[in-house]
Amino acid sequence: MNMSYKEKSLIASLGVTLLLFGWYLYGAFSNLSLNPELPGFIEIIILIVWVVVLESIIQSVLAIKDKLQLEDERDKLIEKISYRYSYGFLSVCIWFLMVQILLDTRFDNHLMLTTPYGMFHFLLLFFVLSEVIRFGTQLYYYRKGV
Amino acid sequence: MSQQTLADKVGVTRQTIFAIEKDKYSPSLEVAFKISNVFKTPLEDVFTYD
Repeated sequence: MNMSYKEKSLIASLGVTLLLFGWYLYGAFSNLSLNPELPGFIEIIILIVWVVVLESIIQSVLAIKDKLQLEDERDKLIEKISYRYSYGFLSVCIWFLMVQILLDTRFDNHLMLTTPYGMFHFLLLFFVLSEVIRFGTQLYYYRKGV
Repeated sequence: MSQQTLADKVGVTRQTIFAIEKDKYSPSLEVAFKISNVFKTPLEDVFTYD
């Protein structure tokens, strides 16, 4: 399939992100509440450490099998394109939340999204989705060509 | 010459050379000139524009 180290690394990162953050967010929203309980600081640190450890292990395994390659111009171009899409999506989401806050303040609406718990989890969801878009865009352009 | 050898001489990855051959990537002018220098042929003999 002629996959470079970079592509395999992206698939691994995408898998780890979806697995760990997906598991956490599924647990947070599984009771269909937009106001899930805020996790403790320790739980968040443990989640992030797990992500970093898993990715490091996978990168090490891939580095053993494939010769580590420096990024060339094609890698950098695809990365730039992916950041553009990822940033665009994240910007829209942040604007959405900002509007929600204004509406809540102005109309005293008390939307669940603007509670601290809701805000935290939706911000986390949007960051994770933007990372998924970044990885997915890179994989798409590696396969399709640019 | 293998793709890896060409890639090493030009300073890109083997997958980039593969993508160029499959018309999935248009290299920069710098890389294009490096490739033509490796083959010691004019640029227009190595690359064509359709």
